[in-house]
Amino acid sequence: MFNKTIFKQTVKENLKLWLIITLLMSVFCALLIAVFEPETISNLSDIIKGTPLENILEQETFLGMIAKTFYSIHGVILPLIFIIITANSLIASQVDRGSMAYLLSTPIKRSAVVGTQAAYLITSILVMVIIVTIIGLFSIHIFQGDTAVNITDYLLLNVGLFLLMFAISSVSFLFSCTFNLSKNSLALGAGIPLAFFLFKLMAQVDDSLEGFKYLSLNSLYDTNAILDGGSYLAQFTALTIVGIVLYVTGMRIFTEKDLPL
Amino acid sequence: MAVIQIEHLTKDYGHHRGVFDISFNIEKGEVYGFLGPNGAGKTTTIRHIMGFSRPQKGHTFVNGLNSWKNASEIQKNLGYLPGEIALPELLTGMQFINMMAELRGMRDMTYTNYLIKKFELDPSGNLKRMPLGMKRKLAIVIAFMNDPDVLVLDEPTSGLDPIMQNIFIELIQEEKEKGKTILLSSHIFNEVDATCDKMSIIKDGRLISTFVPDELRSSASKTFKFEFNIKEQFERFCSEVASQRKLEVIALKRDKNQAVISVDDADINSFIHLIADYDLKFFSEVKFTLEDYFMKFYGHNSSRGGGTE
Ligand SMILES: Nc1ncnc2c1ncn2[C@@H]1O[C@H](COP(=O)(O)OP(=O)(O)O)[C@@H](O)[C@H]1O
Ligand SMILES: [Mg+2]
Repeated sequence: MFNKTIFKQTVKENLKLWLIITLLMSVFCALLIAVFEPETISNLSDIIKGTPLENILEQETFLGMIAKTFYSIHGVILPLIFIIITANSLIASQVDRGSMAYLLSTPIKRSAVVGTQAAYLITSILVMVIIVTIIGLFSIHIFQGDTAVNITDYLLLNVGLFLLMFAISSVSFLFSCTFNLSKNSLALGAGIPLAFFLFKLMAQVDDSLEGFKYLSLNSLYDTNAILDGGSYLAQFTALTIVGIVLYVTGMRIFTEKDLPL
Repeated sequence: MAVIQIEHLTKDYGHHRGVFDISFNIEKGEVYGFLGPNGAGKTTTIRHIMGFSRPQKGHTFVNGLNSWKNASEIQKNLGYLPGEIALPELLTGMQFINMMAELRGMRDMTYTNYLIKKFELDPSGNLKRMPLGMKRKLAIVIAFMNDPDVLVLDEPTSGLDPIMQNIFIELIQEEKEKGKTILLSSHIFNEVDATCDKMSIIKDGRLISTFVPDELRSSASKTFKFEFNIKEQFERFCSEVASQRKLEVIALKRDKNQAVISVDDADINSFIHLIADYDLKFFSEVKFTLEDYFMKFYGHNSSRGGGTE
């Protein structure tokens, strides 16, 4: 199910993009934490009064602000970009190009090849979120020493982000395992996660579009529920189950499919 | 038991593409040529031997193991050269060689280094920027490096310059002496002529001929071509030969008064006796060449279809 040599090689191949995305996320995270001032919120509220964006900023706490910005936009779209590109390059693009033939002409089983690639995708996202969490904690310590911040809630925001990305990556990974052509793998493996992201955003921006939230996996990452003490465990569990089921399905499809190599 | 067995292999990609009811066996120590024009189904067949594709009908076995069910087991003792070279980018040649060695659990790199030297491969460069000829040489080294007993080579010499082609043929002969079993596909006849013990020709997904070149070369019959000085004698010969069971008529060219006849060695004396009655302009043996034999299957529009004498 796992091969160290392939894992090392995969880390190397995807390191550049991973570093760029992790860096960008860290910078955005630190920046948004640094610029937070309680007055900023009220100023902003004045500016956007009467516009559809008003709803987004109704919560005025520090974590509320971070949840509406970083954990809704930057912190979601950046790892999404990493996932879309990487999931395709892990399997489908190697089948499409033909370089997969080399891995499979060694005694390494298909299940080990695909298992290693899945392990990489999950690990890379996990490490990314952990790094951003640590950067966030430091930034809070440095820039928001005076603000009361519920660290448990902050950590839960990050756990949720990871689980969301785990589930989203399972979608992209599934299509990467299914299709032999990069373009098909990308069409669905990028299209569906992006649609999820947009549906959630639309549902938030305007009440009349709220129904769209039921079309989005991202709605299971409910930052309001986490911060307001609502129920979030069921959603977290759902994200975990979706992720596990789709990863396992993808691996099984790759292990049993016909490869035009 | 044959090392590579292909039994009624069928894979229909639709529109009459794919392979249909292919069967042949490759015995231990045999170098087997798998010949056919582009799109004939060579790569498709090899894909099944490697266990990448699942047959729709039939089976392929390597060392008695089902290719589809035991793909990874088979690879332990098999070297594969893909028809299209798609190397992972971002690596240098040497990093790639080392990675493949690691994946195969190899420790001893003596033979690998021997191959690198033999093919004058410079594996230090980045794979992305490596010239095609160098990539092909690298792929050959990768296929042979762990000294496997079975080699499956898909169009191995395409993209090699003539000098490297000769070195490659030399390598095949070395491997053959070591008792390796080799499948070698090609769409160019001359590439396999020099090395193969046995050949199959595939066209439009079907095997159309399987033969042993040496048997054909030393076949117990000869072909002769001769021209008559007198038209009437040519006509007389035409009617006489029709009643002769022992002579096989290859061609009768009325405009030139020429005949091409094939005779079993055992019947050669009675043939000479027969022909002695005639007034001939010339009489010569038509040397058998495998290429002529092969070209017969390629259709008549080939520029080399006329053959060589
Ligand atoms: N994965 C595939 N899907 C559909 N058609 C294919 C596929 N692979 C090969 N073919 C078709 O099958 C035929 C045989 O191809 P191939 O085995 O690659 O021929 P060769 O290696 O002898 O040049 C060709 O017509 C090719 O277009
Ligand atoms: Mg081919």
